[in-house]
Amino acid sequence: MKKITRGVTDKNILDIFAEDFCRIIEKYTNYFICSGFVSIAHGRSRATEDIDMIIEKIPKETFTMMHKDLVKNNFICMQSDNPEKIYSDYLIQGNSIRYVRKSKGMFPPEMELKFVKDSLDEEQMQERRTFPLTKLNLYFSSIESNIAFKEEYLQSDKDMEDAKHLRIIYEESLDENKINKIKEKIRRLRL
Amino acid sequence: MRDKTHREQVQRWAEYVKENPNEWKTELNQFIDAQFQMAQKFYEELAKTKEGREKIEKLKVMRINKR
Repeated sequence: MKKITRGVTDKNILDIFAEDFCRIIEKYTNYFICSGFVSIAHGRSRATEDIDMIIEKIPKETFTMMHKDLVKNNFICMQSDNPEKIYSDYLIQGNSIRYVRKSKGMFPPEMELKFVKDSLDEEQMQERRTFPLTKLNLYFSSIESNIAFKEEYLQSDKDMEDAKHLRIIYEESLDENKINKIKEKIRRLRL
Repeated sequence: MRDKTHREQVQRWAEYVKENPNEWKTELNQFIDAQFQMAQKFYEELAKTKEGREKIEKLKVMRINKR
């Protein structure tokens, strides 16, 4: 029987969507992915429609170039085609924007993108990292911050299960002190 | 936290499903399959690590207890 080996062709549509998008973003600014997709990339068998991405604040001119690059590579912004409007009406106001692949139905997945908004986001940006077990060439926020946000801020059943899942995966290396410090900061800045 | 753009997305998708009853399922299945393939691939990698199989057992127990 012919042995099946994993390689580049092993990527599925979700891997390709996320990695293609991030390759463009990182030409213009730093980013990290957080929330549900972190758990899904770590084996949580549940569905999500969007991937949450936070990027550093960039000037309008840089955003315009980045947006045009995304459009050139077959992504479309659901809020507007006009980069100046997207920047002024959404990003700079602290709202998110969403990109999908150009297609008839504008199918999910969607990349939900927003600017860093406070020191919590900035710290996550500084500590962003890749996770070799996911086999994805993407930057994520730390496992500790994902657990802290899910347990302290989001708190739905789904989020609590995500946090428990991540706790099991990284049980030997989790820094509880760090989780508690992030939770304290969440209480101070977000609640 | 969910914002206005999320509600718009839900509405947009629901309208597409309504207007394209013969098309949406194939596209959506590919996307959902991809998420489960991602999980499968992760467990294959996790199983190769020192404590991987033990963790996979714990995750199974977690899922069973949820039911």
